[in-house]
Amino acid sequence: MEQDVGIWQKISKTLGSLKLTLFVFLMLAIFSVVGTLLPQGMTEHELQERFGAGLGDWIVGMGFHDVYRTGWFRALIMLLCVNLIVCSLQRLPKSLKLITHEDQSLNPDKLLKLSYHMDMTTRLSWTDTQSRLTSILAEEFAPPKTRQGSESYTAYAIRGKWSPVIVYLVHLSVLLVLAGALLGSIFGFKGFMQVSEGESSNLVMLTSGRHQVTLPFAVRCDDFDVSFYDTGAPKEYRSDLTILRNGESAHTQTIRVNDPMTYEGITFYQSSYGNTLKRAEVEFQDKSAGVTERLTMNFRETVTIPGTRDRVQVVRYEPEFSRFGPAVGVVLQKHGEKESSGSWILVNMPDFHGNRIGNYQVRVIGVEASQYTGLQVKKDPGIWMVYTGFTAMLIGIGMAYHTSQRKIWVWAAPRGSSQRVVVAGRANKNSLAFEAEFTRLCERLEQDLRQDPGKREIS
Amino acid sequence: MTSSLLLSLTTFAYFGSAALYLGGVVFRLKSVLSLGSVLGLGTLVIQTAGLLLRWRESYELGYGHAPLSNLYESLVFAAWAIMLLYLIMEYRTKQRTLGVFPAIFAFLAMAYASFSTSVDARIQPILPALKSNWLIAHVITCFLGYAAFAIASGISIFYLLKKSGETSGRPSALMAMIPEARHLDELNYQLILFGFLWLSLGIITGSVWANSAWGTYWSWDPKETWSLITWLVYAAVLHARTIQGWRGKRVAWLSLLGFGCVLFTYFGVNFLLSGLHSYATK
Repeated sequence: MEQDVGIWQKISKTLGSLKLTLFVFLMLAIFSVVGTLLPQGMTEHELQERFGAGLGDWIVGMGFHDVYRTGWFRALIMLLCVNLIVCSLQRLPKSLKLITHEDQSLNPDKLLKLSYHMDMTTRLSWTDTQSRLTSILAEEFAPPKTRQGSESYTAYAIRGKWSPVIVYLVHLSVLLVLAGALLGSIFGFKGFMQVSEGESSNLVMLTSGRHQVTLPFAVRCDDFDVSFYDTGAPKEYRSDLTILRNGESAHTQTIRVNDPMTYEGITFYQSSYGNTLKRAEVEFQDKSAGVTERLTMNFRETVTIPGTRDRVQVVRYEPEFSRFGPAVGVVLQKHGEKESSGSWILVNMPDFHGNRIGNYQVRVIGVEASQYTGLQVKKDPGIWMVYTGFTAMLIGIGMAYHTSQRKIWVWAAPRGSSQRVVVAGRANKNSLAFEAEFTRLCERLEQDLRQDPGKREIS
Repeated sequence: MTSSLLLSLTTFAYFGSAALYLGGVVFRLKSVLSLGSVLGLGTLVIQTAGLLLRWRESYELGYGHAPLSNLYESLVFAAWAIMLLYLIMEYRTKQRTLGVFPAIFAFLAMAYASFSTSVDARIQPILPALKSNWLIAHVITCFLGYAAFAIASGISIFYLLKKSGETSGRPSALMAMIPEARHLDELNYQLILFGFLWLSLGIITGSVWANSAWGTYWSWDPKETWSLITWLVYAAVLHARTIQGWRGKRVAWLSLLGFGCVLFTYFGVNFLLSGLHSYATK
């Protein structure tokens, strides 16, 4: 049993140690360096092409192509949290003791061992000495707690009392940020939606995985607009959006980059734009059969050519295809054939010999294109916790910079016809500033206690 | 009077200030050091005027943005922040000799901005992504942090020179006017703590801004990641010093390592890695 306690103590000591902190910092830094030097999100194939099969496979095996999502990295962050919690719990009692503890058994020998101290004598009377010490300390430093008697006088004053516990606020803030991020990743989502002008959608394609989320309302894009500077550089991307609930408009707002819309906890960011096809008028001519059919095809909708069992679909649209003007990508699935075939059909060049798929000569009579707006969609129920963490971190680090705990002790006792005074001080940081403060106090004491007491002793 | 004239003047004047500080230290002449301070302060005033004028000129061109939007403007601002912070420190500590490195850094930043052919000094329109008040908060906080780390690295170099002189038994006469090693150590620590506060603010404002512009407060973009690495290095320095009682040489070397990370975050990421901050390369 005793051995068990020993092991546990060792483990908890290690988990709370500074060495572990520095180790985790170093490892996080190394992983991050790898993550920035190696382009993230490359596929296995791309990696093998670039680094060769052996190295490429090794990179994939170690997860270095997606460092920040590997188990390694997550384990390190977990370890950081454990380290933060354990070390805070281990150190907090000591810090609290620093705040509440007052050394009552003062003696001059102890005080003279501190790095800041002064030993002097004064010819002021014993009562005057005591009252002056108290008042000077209060004026120059902080109101002291004193013990006065005929044998000795002790005083203790403290400034920046709470300074040693501020660091725990910073530790807590880091935990809050990480917990908020975890909360967001579990209960929130991040995705993308594409809405054509005049149309609406409630489907969000998620960034990670191939899932999609159906929103409880639809988003309609009333208008999308991009404006440019004289130089040709883009100036502003703007979308007018309307939220539709059961087909009725519930909310209308204009969004821009840096100016998103939030509705029922879901935020929509202006992210991209592009051109898309609504529908196309396409003619399919089969010369051998003497058949010509003209079809109105909605984008990505399968249509069967009348009189046959062949199915066709418009799958792609390019407003500018290699400087040949607009083109649509058409796919044909012949009845009874396993493989489908397809081709780009140039809209402005109806007689182009390449406008053929299988046994059909294809002509595009007309296209109805529209602009779409690309929206980044996000729900993050953990964001308030992250922001609380940010605020706490800034307050904590700011206060850590501005405060330090400084203590001053004074001991005095009558010695013959004069009084001996010993002053000492200690600061937990910023020793230079404390040194100046301590020196100022000592100078004031020397000046006030050494001065002529008013009545001369007759010698 | 144009902003580019004032900013060219600034470049040369910072060179003068750096030369005076260095001359004052080498020849142990207090009066020359004072001249360095006066010239540094005067240049800072000219540079401030130049920055404000450039801001106004961008409105006259119809762009209307704070002069913090590309590499040129950030370099000018870096020089400004270093000198501002240093002169405040000089006023408070009365240590003029420490001006050597800040003035050199300020000059180098201005010279790189003015003379490098890869840095475009023209006032350019601002990208939609940068059109936000967060830009001002983010850039100012980051660069105050960088400035503090730059000054700290200069102090660390002085510390190491001073220490190596002391241990070899014959302190160099060149170092005679540099403050005592323990003062340098303490100042180094104070500056790191100050820089750490501003770097944290810079990362957090960037994070909040990214969240309001793109919906992600952290996306492991190379610049973000490198600023986190820098943050970790300085956090390690602060912990080692407070808990383990590290002082002196080790802290000075770590301070230099941290500043190396700052430089990589600022320049290395721009030129070697691509990411969200790519507009900062031109």
